[in-house]
Amino acid sequence: MKASRLHSPWTPWLFLAPFLLSFAVFFAWPAVRSLMLAFEQTYGPKTTAFVGLTNLRFLAHDPFLWTAVGNTVVFALAAVLLQIPAALGLALLLNRSDLRGRRFFRLVFFSPSIVGLAFVAIMFSFMLEKRTGLVNGSLHQLFPAWNPDFPWLERYVMPSLVLAQLWISAGFYMVYLLAALQNVPGELLDAANIDGAGPWQRFWHVTLPEIRPVLNIILLLVVTGSFQLFDLPYLLYNDTSGSGPDNHALTVVTYLFQTGFRSGDLGYASAIGWMLTLVLVGFALVQRRLAQRNET
Amino acid sequence: MRALLKLFSPGLWLVLLMAVASTVLVALLPVRPSRGMQMWVFDANHFKIATTIAAGWNREHPDTPVEVKQVTGAAIQTRMLSAFYSGTPVADLIEVERSMIGQVFAGPVADIGFVDLTERLDREGLRSQINEPSFSPWTSRGHVFGLPHDVHPVMLAYRADLVEAAGIDMSKIETWDDYFRVLRPLMVDLDGDGRPDRYLLNSSPNTLFYHEVLLLQSGGRLFDESNHPTLNQPRNAHIIAQLATWYTGPNQVAAEAPVGGISSLQLIRQGYVIGMLAPDWFAGFIRLSFPDMAGKFKFRPLPAWEKGGRRTSVLGGTMLGITKASRNQEAAWAFAKRLYLSADSAKLLYEVDGIVTPIKANWHLPFFDRPDPFFCNLPMGRMFLQLAPDVPVRPSSPYYVLTQQLLSSVVIRLCQYADEHHTWTAAGLEPEAQRLLDEAQAKVEAQINRNTFLRDAR
Repeated sequence: MKASRLHSPWTPWLFLAPFLLSFAVFFAWPAVRSLMLAFEQTYGPKTTAFVGLTNLRFLAHDPFLWTAVGNTVVFALAAVLLQIPAALGLALLLNRSDLRGRRFFRLVFFSPSIVGLAFVAIMFSFMLEKRTGLVNGSLHQLFPAWNPDFPWLERYVMPSLVLAQLWISAGFYMVYLLAALQNVPGELLDAANIDGAGPWQRFWHVTLPEIRPVLNIILLLVVTGSFQLFDLPYLLYNDTSGSGPDNHALTVVTYLFQTGFRSGDLGYASAIGWMLTLVLVGFALVQRRLAQRNET
Repeated sequence: MRALLKLFSPGLWLVLLMAVASTVLVALLPVRPSRGMQMWVFDANHFKIATTIAAGWNREHPDTPVEVKQVTGAAIQTRMLSAFYSGTPVADLIEVERSMIGQVFAGPVADIGFVDLTERLDREGLRSQINEPSFSPWTSRGHVFGLPHDVHPVMLAYRADLVEAAGIDMSKIETWDDYFRVLRPLMVDLDGDGRPDRYLLNSSPNTLFYHEVLLLQSGGRLFDESNHPTLNQPRNAHIIAQLATWYTGPNQVAAEAPVGGISSLQLIRQGYVIGMLAPDWFAGFIRLSFPDMAGKFKFRPLPAWEKGGRRTSVLGGTMLGITKASRNQEAAWAFAKRLYLSADSAKLLYEVDGIVTPIKANWHLPFFDRPDPFFCNLPMGRMFLQLAPDVPVRPSSPYYVLTQQLLSSVVIRLCQYADEHHTWTAAGLEPEAQRLLDEAQAKVEAQINRNTFLRDAR
């Protein structure tokens, strides 16, 4: 009797209910509501006006948005081209069996990713400050001709952000790649060695194909993380609400935040959010298709 | 019971138990009921003044006491906007800094979360008692939403020790041109690297505030009376071109020790910048930050852009607003008047914060004439008050911060243009300044035109 009650047709739904309820409340309804909001102008959620396609039309010509998109794409490209090779380089270094103090170096390389982002932003501000900053101070000491007022944070906004992000993330992705490298079968490398393959050929034809699935995941994480960049520029360029000098640090999510939560226009912010979602979903699909093609 | 226990694993039961226990614990936590009215302030000195005045008020009004809380500016902004947008709990009275107020004015007038004070001010004859320009940042579409806290006239603070040691007589300086010409010998290379280690004015292309201060002083402006952007008016282009020659090229005279920045105190102490654009609150900042440097700073009216021109500007500002959510609006209004209009509060404001009151009836009070030993016995209060009526009017547009950022972008780009084209004269830079300002104007207008709620007002 008890068993039959537990196996009634409602039982699976009972177990699914917590997930379905939380999914509906915290994901499905907000998603539907934000889609509706994209066609409204708001002054907070209470005061709204239906504006049809106006938000979407404005998106196409909004110079701030396109500046933000440009900055975000540059950041994402720099992140892919620097973070992944740097992480791979560190992982290859730590994977060497003849390296002494591997655990120590693993901790050293990984430690930036456990440091709080606010701390990183303050640290980079201290380092790159005009006149009193560590970088300008050291360069001026070493090369007296160096201008101690060199404006790193103002003139090299994107490189500053990329450098700070590289410092935080390289060690984090290194851990993934180190795990992948340690799973590369030794017999494959030995066989390649016996066949006369050099270190570069072994890496290119054996190691790289073996760690490609992990690289694909990292690529996805780096790109989606880059497109969601917000906190680092917000902290580093706090006086301009994250926009930076001449909007050089303005990212899509920073602009979304400024529009939605500073100007109160949740409608336009939703339109920006949906655009970002479509771009990221598109990228994920393309990346998955390419990964599948490589595997076949 | 046993069957029920076996339904989930012990781990899951533990998680459930913890969830239930923590929920019950949170539900049972005592909530201190708020007594009377609440007031939020963002500044430690404002808090000190408000608590002093509130103590007297609370003795006389035990039924409607005021509890003052100091909350950081960012938290006030977030909680205030959340309350206005969605009806979350909020204080009865809020002190709002100028950079926070624009967003409050972005919606329909009827939906603004502060009580409209226009009629009260007129009925009680208060409008004429308060310095008129001090109302402008808190007025939207003809309605006043806050009682002004200050005037914030700007003077020039300078390193008197360095200037006088060089035998320079500041009293002969009338215009900015005079200032830079006369003080130029102070731009010396102290460490032998061939670059100056002193600059004559604390400002740079990246600053968000000082361009506007100088623009307003010159008669330029970012918005007109009806909050229409006027970023690209020719006067602005003329001034911006002049500023670019201060910031870059062979005649660079300005550099920044960003106030509030990591290195500003060290740079100001070292004399990296000789002169600073200094509102009354900045005098308090100097006194607090450099207590050992008494007698080394002096203040004087700003050099004018042209002979006979305006000798002051304005920087910063705070208002006190009563929220519509307040259940004690009349008591809140009475307390607001006590806090901002009384002679006691004017004295406290000046003594604690160095700020002069916008209440004209209090300008005669003798403490404003007292010589200030920290600033070489200058009668600081009187000096600022003499400039108060000349303070320029400022906008309350929701697009003010955006426009300020765009102005900074224009100056940055103009400096880049100057360096790329080796054009370092104001006349040579003016056409490019105008072009950049036209671009910026179009951007602001596009954003403003998109706002359905402001369309009716237009």
